Amino acid sequence: MTVLLELDAVSKSYGATEVLRPTSLEVKDGEFLTILGPSGSGKTTILRLVGGFARPTAGRIRFDGADVTNVPTHKRPFNTVFQDYALFPHMNVARNVGYGLMLRRRPKREIENRVAETLEVVGLSGMLDRYPSQLSGGQRQRVALARALVCDPRLILLDEPLAALDAGLRRQMQLFLKSLQRQVRTTFLFVTHDQEEATTMSDRIVVMNVGHIEQIGTPRDIYYAPASRFVAEFFGDNNILGGTISDGRLQCALGAFPAPPALVEGSAALAAIRPEKVRLGTAAEPADIVFTAAVIDVVFAGAITQVLLRPNASPEAIITAKLTSGAAIGSLAPDASVEVRIAREDAVILPAASP
Amino acid sequence: MSPRLARIGLFVAAASAPVVFVLVPIAAFLIMSFWRVETSQLVPDMTVANYAAFFASDTYPRVFIETLQLCAIVAVIGVALGYPIAYLIWRQHGRLRYVLLLLFAIPLFMSYIVKIYTMRSILGLQGFLNQGLVTLGILDQPSLLFIYNRLAILLTMAVIFLPFAILPIYLSLERIPRSLVHASADLGGAPLASFRYVILPLSAPGTIVGALFVFVLALGDFITPQMVGGPSGFTIGRVIWSQFGLAFNWPFGAAMASLLLLVAFVVISLAALIARRQRV
Ligand SMILES: Nc1ncnc2c1ncn2[C@@H]1O[C@H](COP(=O)(O)OP(=O)(O)OP(=O)(O)O)[C@@H](O)[C@H]1O
Ligand SMILES: [Mg+2]
Repeated sequence: MTVLLELDAVSKSYGATEVLRPTSLEVKDGEFLTILGPSGSGKTTILRLVGGFARPTAGRIRFDGADVTNVPTHKRPFNTVFQDYALFPHMNVARNVGYGLMLRRRPKREIENRVAETLEVVGLSGMLDRYPSQLSGGQRQRVALARALVCDPRLILLDEPLAALDAGLRRQMQLFLKSLQRQVRTTFLFVTHDQEEATTMSDRIVVMNVGHIEQIGTPRDIYYAPASRFVAEFFGDNNILGGTISDGRLQCALGAFPAPPALVEGSAALAAIRPEKVRLGTAAEPADIVFTAAVIDVVFAGAITQVLLRPNASPEAIITAKLTSGAAIGSLAPDASVEVRIAREDAVILPAASP
Repeated sequence: MSPRLARIGLFVAAASAPVVFVLVPIAAFLIMSFWRVETSQLVPDMTVANYAAFFASDTYPRVFIETLQLCAIVAVIGVALGYPIAYLIWRQHGRLRYVLLLLFAIPLFMSYIVKIYTMRSILGLQGFLNQGLVTLGILDQPSLLFIYNRLAILLTMAVIFLPFAILPIYLSLERIPRSLVHASADLGGAPLASFRYVILPLSAPGTIVGALFVFVLALGDFITPQMVGGPSGFTIGRVIWSQFGLAFNWPFGAAMASLLLLVAFVVISLAALIARRQRV
């Protein structure tokens, strides 16, 4: 796939505070790329720089090979879906959606046809005459999408477009957005702080942490191979075990894990273990570390049951296990002593300090 | 008195203030406009003679219409000056914005008479304007072009009432979310197109309110025409004023005042209707 949008060492400062460190990023043609990060990490800042609503302090932005760093917003060939939708309150749905085409001086008939077509794609036919104040949150969301789609941009920027919707509608819109993106084959640059949303929708995810990128990869890459402690903790749950590197292994209170050669002897490191990789009382494999622990709590959550454990060898480290619900687990009582197993290859070994 | 009663009493007092101070005087006017004067005495009556006399006269209706025209032009000038100023203030960032806004609101706290004298000292025969034009060699000698005529009334009123145009326009601009302006640019709107299709329509209600303020204030102003208007300063406000003073015909004055009030009321209702249709 070719590169559609390229950020080349782009940074942004407000006064003396650098809210975005020099950041490079390539968005490929046709992909669904999500920028994921906690509040204040600079997600919106990136989108504002790409949209042209703010100018970078340094670095270049290229679109389809052309430098657009200093091109004003109205001449940039891509469209934005704003977090608050930013629908024009004095225009009905038809005029809102047709706005971009009207500005491009398209013939009236063409505008009408395109607007009707696009509203059908987003599932809003027959609402042409409504005003934004007469629409529900989900419908406004769809109008905002249609308004951005109608001009056939090759890139659409979406800043937390689902944040204002309730959970049910949100799931529905996630699936809809994903299938829409496949259908129209437009590149989506999507911003969210919701890890699950990013995982289900994206081809690739950019994980951000205060003003810089921590990791870029597919949802699988990031889930199974987090590149830093921040990613391991922010992206899904992880049990973190601290220790030191010695003899090419991470030595911690519960056992030793093979460490990648990049980690220096004697340095502090940690093992990140997904809760669903923690097993109780099942048959031992040769590569397992095994320890006994006391059950602190058993939390039933439908298909999954969460068990909180306190290892005897390291009482301050609370280990969470996510197990498929069943009779055996249901009968586990607090304070019961259990045998816990973790396969050595299921642990991701990371340096303790961020690089 | 129980606290509950006291609270009800307070509420009644607060609610009745507008009634006492606005509706009662208006009602008094309306009632008096049906009275008559006999040998310098007010006589309560139910006659429409005052209204008949107004419409039968060949000066008063003309003065009335001319005054409406004058005030409409003042309103237009007020908005024409006020809109760009409000817009420029709105485009500023941070503290500058509020400093500018305050600067243009300061005249609101100044005495009305002081403002008229200031305008006179600018527009008059020995005024700054004339002196400036003579110094620049544009005029050979000071001219009466700017004072004691219709132009003087228009300019003075427009300047005096300018803050009343600027403030509502500014407020309506400030209510426009920045994201709407961004969205317009994002969809391909050059600054001028965004202004025309988004900013202007969304600030229209405030602009109409500003024009109304100026219009109604100008309608009630009988001092400016007298002080800077010279022979053309004969407006309906002055006519009414003279009926209450020199002529001592309060019922006739009240009838004309009631007609003026009716016009103001119709204009305000129309504007409210237009503003409502803007859906903002
Ligand atoms: N105009 C500005 N002036 C000064 N600082 C700003 C400005 N805009 C953003 N910032 C700062 O930049 C940092 C990043 O902001 P940004 O809006 O990009 O965060 P975000 O990742 O989108 O967060 P959220 O999830 O809360 O929307 C924040 O610390 C914010 O305070
Ligand atoms: Mg944001």
